[in-house]
Amino acid sequence: MRAPGDGHGIMAGDVLLAVDGVSLSFGGVKAITDVSFDIRKGEIRAIIGPNGAGKTSMLNVINGFYHPQKGRITFKGEMRRRMRPYEAASQGIARTFQNVALFKGMSTIDNIMAGRTLKMHENFFWQCLRHGPAMREEVEHRRFVEEIIDFLEIQAIRKTPVGKLPYGLQKRVELGRALAMEPELLLLDEPMAGMNLEEKEDMSRFIVDVNNQYGTTIALIEHDIGVVMDLSDRVVVLEYGRKIADGSPAEVSSDQAVIDAYLGVPH
Amino acid sequence: MFYREAGQFKTSYAADMAVFPIRQDRIGLAVILMIAFVGIPLFGNQFFLSSVMIPFLVFSLAAIGLNILTGYTGLISLGTAAFMGVGAYACYKLTTFFPDVNLIVWILASGFVSALVGVLFGLPSLRIKGFYLAVATLAAQFFLQWSFVRVPWLYNYNTSGAIEVPEHDLFGIPITGPNALPETRYLVLLTIVTVLTWFASNLIHGRIGRAWMAVRDMDIAAELMGIKLLDTKLLAFAVSSFYAGVAGACMVFLWYGSAEPEVFTINQSFLILFMVIIGGLGSLLGSFLGAALIYMLPIALRVLPASLGVPIAAATVEHLQFIIVGALIIFFLIVEPHGLARLWQTGKQKLRMWPFPY
Ligand SMILES: Nc1ncnc2c1ncn2[C@@H]1O[C@H](COP(=O)(O)OP(=O)(O)OP(=O)(O)O)[C@@H](O)[C@H]1O
Ligand SMILES: [Mg+2]
Repeated sequence: MRAPGDGHGIMAGDVLLAVDGVSLSFGGVKAITDVSFDIRKGEIRAIIGPNGAGKTSMLNVINGFYHPQKGRITFKGEMRRRMRPYEAASQGIARTFQNVALFKGMSTIDNIMAGRTLKMHENFFWQCLRHGPAMREEVEHRRFVEEIIDFLEIQAIRKTPVGKLPYGLQKRVELGRALAMEPELLLLDEPMAGMNLEEKEDMSRFIVDVNNQYGTTIALIEHDIGVVMDLSDRVVVLEYGRKIADGSPAEVSSDQAVIDAYLGVPH
Repeated sequence: MFYREAGQFKTSYAADMAVFPIRQDRIGLAVILMIAFVGIPLFGNQFFLSSVMIPFLVFSLAAIGLNILTGYTGLISLGTAAFMGVGAYACYKLTTFFPDVNLIVWILASGFVSALVGVLFGLPSLRIKGFYLAVATLAAQFFLQWSFVRVPWLYNYNTSGAIEVPEHDLFGIPITGPNALPETRYLVLLTIVTVLTWFASNLIHGRIGRAWMAVRDMDIAAELMGIKLLDTKLLAFAVSSFYAGVAGACMVFLWYGSAEPEVFTINQSFLILFMVIIGGLGSLLGSFLGAALIYMLPIALRVLPASLGVPIAAATVEHLQFIIVGALIIFFLIVEPHGLARLWQTGKQKLRMWPFPY
């Protein structure tokens, strides 16, 4: 795999994405209230918080699935009131979902190939013939997908319909599908939820490798504090839709507000 | 033991990505094509060609069209017959205006007209899904069916309200009208169906097919991966209606020879939907199997008991047909939603293992 798109003048350590004063509510339910934080290029940024804190909603705002009532999002230096899903995807934001959202009727390969859609351009006419340019394109992207399959060690399930795979493997295929987009920013929503220790170790290794080898910036939602402490460079903590802490893992874990939130001190 | 890929190693991704990666399948396909193109026209009698094979091919084509929309993209349509009607009437008008142009050109062109109408009626699919979309396509069905009756321009102001197909030649050989031999009509139709099936298979195995299935399986994830939902759904409507339109044109020009609006009713839409369900949602092979089963079942019911000397009344045949089709639909919906095509796959899998149980 190639390192995903540099050349936007954003160097490692610069701000890749900034969320500024974002508020989001559903009818009367305030999911996010005035949250600001940033994600720097090349880092693993953890987002943690108790259930219902607004973590998933935050990711949905970032990739344009939810539109916040207030606030701004700056991605690669461009400021927006709101993202649009297509725009977010084509600008290099990929994600996985808390409840696996694979294409159940399709094989592992086809799922990951689907992640290449934005990079494939051969027109309808060639697609009908499946020869010439269309086939060359298909083979070229298949090669790329096979690299991902090797990287994630899922060779044996290439042609299995993903609906039949155990949960842990589904999560892995979903990561593969996101990687196929060659994202600059990868949003992972609880990639290790429901996994046993060994599967968690594998997944952690993949995340670190993606980050190291390809320089992909990662936003990671995770409940397992051990994993967060080990993997992430910086942590933002949400509670009831508000940001209550932001800093290095060590800083955050000694923060009184965070300790209270996790021990459930009444407000 | 006879059906297996042992020793057939794929040495390139292109080979691995072939639609039929196993040699036995390719041989099987070649044999089927040989029988279809050479055997049947040579040995089939009038009845078999005109009343079995030609209708079977027309329905298969329509079923492929519906399968692209419903089986692959997950959008239910109850308007297939109406889109077939659009194709038939478009072809009729086009051949009236330009009678000297090759008929094949107009059959394909009427597919495009139908595609356009399909896109129009597909527009609501961005906002509505499932049951509500089915109702929207039902509106298309009734509106179009109404136009076939109420817009006399469509049937050239004939007093009968029906359309009559005049004679058309292809390279000097009549392919429509009373002088066209069943063999010729069959071969023209078979060629169209073969080429269009090949196109459909190619589309389905590439970027576009994956986008369709992605929208079917998880539209949210598809959208967040940059697959444009509206474009993808409208393309499915367009391609699906194109197939239905061509099937409709073929139905009138190569099979019936004339048609009344009553041909393109909701009943026929349902018939094609049943073919797709029983044959297998999301399977091209299934479209053929479903069309074969549903169309040939009544024929078999009529012919078989008679040839065995069992007297059977026409009304009984009709009732039997309803009972059997109904039972099959319930069976497949409950037991095997992937239809006959999946049963075939399972059978092949067993054959691969045979004679070992595992
Ligand atoms: N589509 C929606 N409609 C209505 N309310 C929603 C919607 N999505 C989220 N919410 C509400 O917003 C709040 C935040 O939910 P969110 O899913 O972002 O939390 P989370 O931090 O991801 O929680 P968890 O750890 O359980 O995944 C919750 O109160 C939730 O009920
Ligand atoms: Mg969540």
